[in-house]
Order: sequence, then structure tokens, then C-alpha cells
Amino acid sequence: MKRKLQALIVFLLLGIVKLPLEQHTVTALRNHEMLYQPLDYQARDAVGQIGFAAALGGLRSLVASVTYLMGFTAFEEVNWPRVDFLYNITTQLQPRFDVYWKDAAEHMAYDAASAYRYTDSRPRLYREQLYRQYVQRGIDILNDGLRYLPRSVRLHSTVADLYSRRLEPPNHELAGQHYLLAYQNGGLPVNARLAAYEWAQLDNAPARWREAYQILKSGYDRGLRMPGMINFLHLLETRLNVPPMQRVR
Amino acid sequence: MTSYHRFSPARIWALTMSTVTQLVRMRILVFLLVISVVVAAASFAFPAFNAEQQLKVLKDVCFGLEQLFAYVIAMVATALLLPKDVEDRTLYTILAKPVPRVDYLLGKLFGVLIVIAGGLILLDVVLSGVLWIKQGVVLADALAGLHQQLGGTPPPEAVAATTADVMKQGLTWTLHMGVLAIFLKAAVLTSLTLLISCIATSTLFTVITSFCFFIVGHGETLFREYFFKGGTAWWQYAAAAVLSVFCPDLSLFDVVDAVTEGKAVAVSDMLHMTGIGSLYVAGYMAVAYLLFVEKEL
Repeated sequence: MKRKLQALIVFLLLGIVKLPLEQHTVTALRNHEMLYQPLDYQARDAVGQIGFAAALGGLRSLVASVTYLMGFTAFEEVNWPRVDFLYNITTQLQPRFDVYWKDAAEHMAYDAASAYRYTDSRPRLYREQLYRQYVQRGIDILNDGLRYLPRSVRLHSTVADLYSRRLEPPNHELAGQHYLLAYQNGGLPVNARLAAYEWAQLDNAPARWREAYQILKSGYDRGLRMPGMINFLHLLETRLNVPPMQRVR
Repeated sequence: MTSYHRFSPARIWALTMSTVTQLVRMRILVFLLVISVVVAAASFAFPAFNAEQQLKVLKDVCFGLEQLFAYVIAMVATALLLPKDVEDRTLYTILAKPVPRVDYLLGKLFGVLIVIAGGLILLDVVLSGVLWIKQGVVLADALAGLHQQLGGTPPPEAVAATTADVMKQGLTWTLHMGVLAIFLKAAVLTSLTLLISCIATSTLFTVITSFCFFIVGHGETLFREYFFKGGTAWWQYAAAAVLSVFCPDLSLFDVVDAVTEGKAVAVSDMLHMTGIGSLYVAGYMAVAYLLFVEKEL
């Protein structure tokens, strides 16, 4: 009996001592982005009891892969609401893996939007409305992803593509901002040039034109001679009234 | 006359190896073989995905199987050990000799840990091999795709960026840190199951109770943070306190999610996990000893 009492005391002491240590360890791991916040009730409803139990049991990444595969199957079945639903769960389970956000957004903004636009079964105006809604849905997904991954080159360049090439009319200002952020966070130099191309197309924005000109001119001075780049440089020189002697040839 | 040492590493080692033999005879190697086959098969799956996704899914499947192996052995095999020794009467033969009960318990613990570690190392080697082959194949495909997309030789920076993205999801040292984290969690579960086994009257009770601790242990963070936050109804506060004190926080070993995303685990993080894992194991073994030393056999 004495030993059992000792055992209980040791067990309780261990339980009390471990609490601050656990809290310290979890905080350190979260600060290093090694642990996620626990799943909330909304996620539990979405993944179902079994998926939630599995995710809670340390198999969160595996459950995310399974929902991703299910989403891909839904994509093959052209079931867009289900694709959105399943990719939403996937991104909730692993919000710091940018490929999930990108795929989720592209399925909405490219695949679903185009499918609705070019399927003749609905009136034309309604199809156009659906197109715009799904492009916007893709942008919203990427903006959600950027809250978790503000330095993701992939997410910045993808959302910039949507603002530039899918949104009607395009939002050149935001597209340029995201291309530039993609470049500033380690992306390829082409992202900086794309930002300049976007800003060059803005109406009545001399400050942005000057930034765009500086980006393209520095590329030109480094020896780049792409035809598209030269065209935009000529456009900007005209708009900024660059003296003829300083213009590129 | 042979001298008697109260604590003998040689005696513990002998008990450890006997436990390893006992577990290997439970057809654990077949389990490992099946997992290895599934890992190899998974490497051929989902060719429609992009390079990074293929590698990510492969890693998720492999790590999921490694976890399944480690936690099942930690709970089920450990729960079987004491009852089986009683049933076979091996326990009486051992304890009739001058073998302290603490040596017996440590022998059982180390035996299970060696089997889990051996299995995880084997699976890690299989995963590393499969992943290394797979990353070579998908990288070649990705670069060929880039070549085709640009209609000529792609610029070096584009090749470098594509290669870096694929390699981040391929074979890296940090994957082995993920395996170590799985082992640490399995070690905590093993010691906890051994503790429960010392008070249990049946194997089924031990397995079910361990499984309950396993599930609640993954939600312990919620209870603990609720407890620390305070300001709730007294009974909710009390329930959170009881659950936090009684359950280990198993979710703090779940760095596998970050590892499969391609993130590197810092040495300080591994030291944190190893430290707290060692504390759990030492604490649970001390409690198990206090319970086992007076157990009527």
C-alpha cells in the first residue's frame, strides 16, 4: 500500500512538473514553425470523426494527403464544389505547405472558372458571373494562404498571375505588387520584370511608371534585350518624357 | 560464491535480448516486410501529380506507416509482454533468481525500444532509398517539362529554382529527425503502457487504456492551454487540470508534419523533444517500478 501511495505521489509530481516544460517546448516548436495549432471544431466537422481522430493521432500530414487525393478525384469528376471543399480541408490541415494553396486556387481560378464559362448548359450572363466568382475564389484562397506564408514566392507569383491574366478587367496595381514581392522574397528576376510590365500598363500612375522604368532600365543596362521588355521601355519613356538622348535604342 | 550486484547492466542486457527474441517471434518482421512493400508500391503511385506533390505523398504514406508500426508495437506488444511471461511462467523463473524487479522492467523496456528502433531504422533505409530513386526520376521529368514549356534550353536560374523546389521535397537529413521524433513518441508510449501493464489485470485493459492515453495525449495541449488560460467554470478548469496532469503531451513530438513539408528541424528543437521524452520515460518507469515491486504474482 505504501508503494502504491508513493507511485501516486510520483505520478502526480511528474504531472505537475511537466506542465511548464511542455508549454515551453510547444511554444519553442511553434515559434520555429515545427508544430501547428490544434485543429478547431470547424476542421473536425469538415474532415469527419475518423479523419479528425487520425489527424489528432499525429497523422495530420497523411490525412491532408488523403483529402488532397480525394480532391483530385473530385477534379477528375468535374465536381467543383467538392474540389473546393476538400482542398479547403487540406489547406486547413497543412496551411504552411504552399503547394496545397496554389493547387486549390488554380483549380478554382483556372479549371472551374473556365469549365463554367465554356459549358453551354447555362445562360451566357450566368456563366460569366460564375467565371468571375471562381476567379475571385482562387484569389481569396491565395490571400488566405499568404496570411500563413507571407514570404512564399509561389503564392505571390500565382496570385499576381490571377490578378493579371484571369481577372477581368485585370488589376495591374496588385499584380505588380505581388510580382515584386515574389522577386523580393527570393524569386527569379523575371518576377521583377513582370511587376514592371504590370505597372507600365496602369493609367495615370507616374510614380509606378517611374518604378517600372527603373526596373526595366536596370535590366537593360545589365544586357537584357527581350523584345517585350524593349517595347515596355519605349512606352514608359514616352509616358515619362525621358529626353531622347537617354532613351534606349 | 558469486557476488550479487543490485544493479547489473549485463543482467539488464540479457533480459533485453530475451525480450527482443520474444518480440521477433511474434512475426514482427512480416509486418515490416508488408510495410516495405507498400512503401515501394507507393513510389509508383500518382504519376499525374507534379514532382513536389508526388514526393510529398510518398513521404506522407511512408511516415504514416512508420508511425503505425512504432505505435502499434509500443502499445500492443508491450501490453502483451507481462501477461505472456506470466502465462509461460517465465516471469516466475526469472524473479525466483536474484533479479531485482527494476532490472526486469528495464529489460522489457529496452527490448521493446530496440525492436522499435531497429524497425524504424530499417524503414528509414527503405524510405530513403525509394525517395532517392523517386526524386531523380521526378526531377528529370520536371526539367524535361521546363525544357518543353520554354521551347529550348531553359535559363540556368529557372533550372536552379526547379531543382531546389524538387530537392526540398526529396531526401534530406531532416527526414531522419522526423524518424527520431517518432521513436521518442513511441518510447513514451512504451513506458506508459508498461506502467499500465503493472496495474492491469488483462491485456485488453492495457491496450484499451494505452490507446485512450494515446488519443487524449494528442489533445493534451488543448487542455493544458485551457488550464493555463483560466477564467472558466471551476469544473471545466478542474477537468482540464486533471487531464493535463495525468496525460503526456504526445502532440509535441509531431514534427513529422513539418518535416514532410520540407522544413529543417533545429538541433535545439530536437534537444527539447529528447529532454521532455526522457523525462516522461524516467518518470513513468519510476512509477511502474513502485507499482511492480509490490505486485502479487
